[in-house]
Amino acid sequence: MAHGNHDALYSQLAARGVTRRDFLKFCGSIATLMGLAETAIPQIAAAVEAAALTPRAPALWINGGACTGCTESMAQGMTPDVATVVLDLLSLNYFETVMMAQGGPEMIPGYQEGVVEAKPELTAEGAIKTMLEEGGYILIFEGTVMTGFGGNALRIAGKSQTEELPEICKNAAAIVAVGSCAVDGGWVAARPNPAEGKGIQQFCKDEGIATPVINLPTCPVNPEWVVAMVIDVLLLGQLESGAILDKLDDFGRPSLIFGQTIHDNCPRRGHFENGEFVYEFGSAEEAKGYCLYAVGCKGPQTFTNCPIVRWNDGASWCVESGAPCIGCGNANPLSPGGNWVDVGAPFLNRMPDLPIAGTTFQPSTIGAAVGAVAAGALLVHGIGMKVAGRMDGGAPYEDVRAHDRKKGGGK
Amino acid sequence: MARVVVDPLTRIEGHLRVEVEIGADSKVSDAWVSGTLYRGMETVLKGRRPQDAFYVSQRICGVCPISHGHASTMSAEDTYDLTIPNGARLVRNIIECAQYLHSHVLWFYTLAALDYVDPLKALSADIAATYDLALAVAGKYAPAGFDVRVTDFGAVQKRVGEFINAGLNNNRLSIFTNGWLGHPAYPSEMPAELHLIAVAHYLEALQVQAEASQIIGIMGGKFPHFMTSVNGGTTFVPTEEKLDDVLYRLMKVVDFVNNVMIPDTLAIAPYYAKDYPNEGIVSSAAYGAGCKNYLAWGVFNDPSFELTKRYLPGGVIKGLDLAAGVIPGLEDPDPSKVMEYVSRSWYDSADGLNPSDGETSAKYVDYDVNGKYSWGKAVRYDDLPMEVGPLSRMLVAYLRDTEMQWPDGVRTPKQLIDLTLGALGSELGLTGPVPLAALQSLLGRVAARNLETAFVADLSVASVLELVGYVKEGDVKWFEPHSVSDGKGVGMWEAPRGSVAHWMTVEGGKLSNYQVVAPTTWDIAPRDKEGADAVRGPIEESLIGAPVMDPERPMEVVRIVRSFDP
Repeated sequence: MAHGNHDALYSQLAARGVTRRDFLKFCGSIATLMGLAETAIPQIAAAVEAAALTPRAPALWINGGACTGCTESMAQGMTPDVATVVLDLLSLNYFETVMMAQGGPEMIPGYQEGVVEAKPELTAEGAIKTMLEEGGYILIFEGTVMTGFGGNALRIAGKSQTEELPEICKNAAAIVAVGSCAVDGGWVAARPNPAEGKGIQQFCKDEGIATPVINLPTCPVNPEWVVAMVIDVLLLGQLESGAILDKLDDFGRPSLIFGQTIHDNCPRRGHFENGEFVYEFGSAEEAKGYCLYAVGCKGPQTFTNCPIVRWNDGASWCVESGAPCIGCGNANPLSPGGNWVDVGAPFLNRMPDLPIAGTTFQPSTIGAAVGAVAAGALLVHGIGMKVAGRMDGGAPYEDVRAHDRKKGGGK
Repeated sequence: MARVVVDPLTRIEGHLRVEVEIGADSKVSDAWVSGTLYRGMETVLKGRRPQDAFYVSQRICGVCPISHGHASTMSAEDTYDLTIPNGARLVRNIIECAQYLHSHVLWFYTLAALDYVDPLKALSADIAATYDLALAVAGKYAPAGFDVRVTDFGAVQKRVGEFINAGLNNNRLSIFTNGWLGHPAYPSEMPAELHLIAVAHYLEALQVQAEASQIIGIMGGKFPHFMTSVNGGTTFVPTEEKLDDVLYRLMKVVDFVNNVMIPDTLAIAPYYAKDYPNEGIVSSAAYGAGCKNYLAWGVFNDPSFELTKRYLPGGVIKGLDLAAGVIPGLEDPDPSKVMEYVSRSWYDSADGLNPSDGETSAKYVDYDVNGKYSWGKAVRYDDLPMEVGPLSRMLVAYLRDTEMQWPDGVRTPKQLIDLTLGALGSELGLTGPVPLAALQSLLGRVAARNLETAFVADLSVASVLELVGYVKEGDVKWFEPHSVSDGKGVGMWEAPRGSVAHWMTVEGGKLSNYQVVAPTTWDIAPRDKEGADAVRGPIEESLIGAPVMDPERPMEVVRIVRSFDP
């Protein structure tokens, strides 16, 4: 790339207080997320530079049955900050939560004065239509696809969202499903799934749409992953080459982000190995940062890199704040019932409640043996904890083992 | 007569449809507000454990999950008759404060600012004059003055200009695509330089709201959707290092609120408090009042945990009309007076139920403003629609001013309101302050939110210092061990956008019923019965009489709806 272009980019960055060093650091963090070696940093930098100096890549951000938490989460990303994403990297022509335009099929086009030439449409709807004609955009989908009540569980612009959604999906170059709701319906699809929610990949499958879907679970999505994917898809040309699809696992998730469990990378892992556990919130063990396994932590069965990437620009993450992981990243795009709520609740217990004959019960010894198949990796360590499912103290605790008691653990 | 529909109304959390009828006098003569999404949270929670409701129910809203989480955990604690330790009270208050700071900054700049500020006009600002104006505004209203905060207005103008020019002819205007740039409802008297200052702060605010969320990240694990305020207290054990991280970020946010957000409010407000008859613009202080009933459950517990002693206290005001001198007595809030009606909503459950025995039975029929037209239930208090949110809280706090025990070092809501009305009066060239009655309007609702931000900024610093003092004492407690017991409970609290309450019934250790009345449920409520005497919901009522300058782009309508932060 010509040196002049570098200078143009860096002067742009400098104008908003971003130094060359910051920029390279950002490229480095993207490289880490994508599992690339440090030698890839110049390649990423060149791609981002090129993107910053050419027309912004078109994108639509569509909210299904969403709480807007993933949009909120994107706004918490600082590398790059949201202004850079919105102004420089992507042209997010439809983004209900932040866009200037208003929806209104019954409003008549008006005029614009000043610098902007008159446009045929002045509505949010118009923004989508123009993009549908153009095609080739990235579709970022947040929230659950709502199919209940003939799709009327979510009405937008006077009709059900599912009426227009197939065309929006079909004309996209790729779909990025942000957050567990978009991946498999999330909590919305949890038993009894009253509004018949499903993930966008399932929806595409049902509608016979072949657009590739990249799934980014957790509730909400972590903004760092979205940025990494957008750069992967858009700037490094991995979509055209098909390379991106090779990097996805069976659940359509980027393996590099979702390939290891939280437990694998947990800073409290040492305490797990030593048998040092928190049995009560706010206790002395909690203050020492002991392992939260005994109060239900789902780290061992949850595949995300939260301990490495962390949250809110690296400020902290769930386990560091003393809270057991609830497994919000557990998602199963094509299997209803695999959502993180049905899989993980009750969150403060080690074992799920088993639904049998219309009621549920907490597995005791026999259940533990069954559950141990899933938690097999843990038993390798010889932890062999007895699951009691007691309810006192606000959280169901494991029985305290003699080993812990000697060390002052438990109550 | 004309019908105008805005659907979806953007820059809010969630999906909303607004339909208005505009009379021959170009004013709104009728209005229907429709919540267009049903997910079924209450049904999903049935049969699950009360401990799990904290984690799941906060996911109703990604902008105010903290408040839902706190309401849920308080309803469980009410069921078990449990009082959380003082340490947990302080930690929860600070997390909640951080969410208020985050949410109000995000609302004013990211969501609402484009209704009052035109990025196109910023492009014609003179840079030297912009610095002069910024200096003058800061000199009047920023406690720290202008020297602490130098923004490169030239760079911002260049960036926005290049962005618009590069995107204009190839459909790459990003979030400004098809926006109402150049709308005549932006008064021409408002200088381009002020537009540029606001655009610069729009960009800066994106960083500031993230700093505020990082406080929740530290104390709550992450934001949105936090992890630590479990039933019985908190899992977060403060350390010196963590409190230092919190205070460092908090001081940056507080600096922005006091030295940027409040000065911006006072600089922009005068242009929207005036009539410009030649441009067809009516003062935003002259319409948008609404139902004039105000409810606050109260938020930020003091050591007594009483609703009416919270730092933003609970209270109910029915039929307040300051312009007519009608100031009714303040009532203490009572959750048993809440009723939900569904005859105009897409449910077939029984009408008029209190949420402690509430039902959620969804049944969709065709959208019809003369029949059923919303997924929102019509929630009422003593059979009256109630406005909830910062205006309600600030009015209740104003009326309770003398009976309150305010924490050390905070400016009280009354002081902040009186100061602002005085400043606005002198900006407008009046002989005295703008009358208090101006609060009951579109402009008043916006101002109340921003002044509440200043109050919460003060309160958050006071709360962190109180927590530091508590930790220093040494005898700390963060969690109250307890058992799950059967019974009924309600947790009443306030999200940034208004009153939130969660009701739960626990039977055999499982939730047999769970009902949520969210802030938006109150404000977007549809009519409560069929026929001509049906009472409109708060937002519907606030639209009546609003002028509409351009029915093709009904700016006044979207401003009013958005002022509720629905």
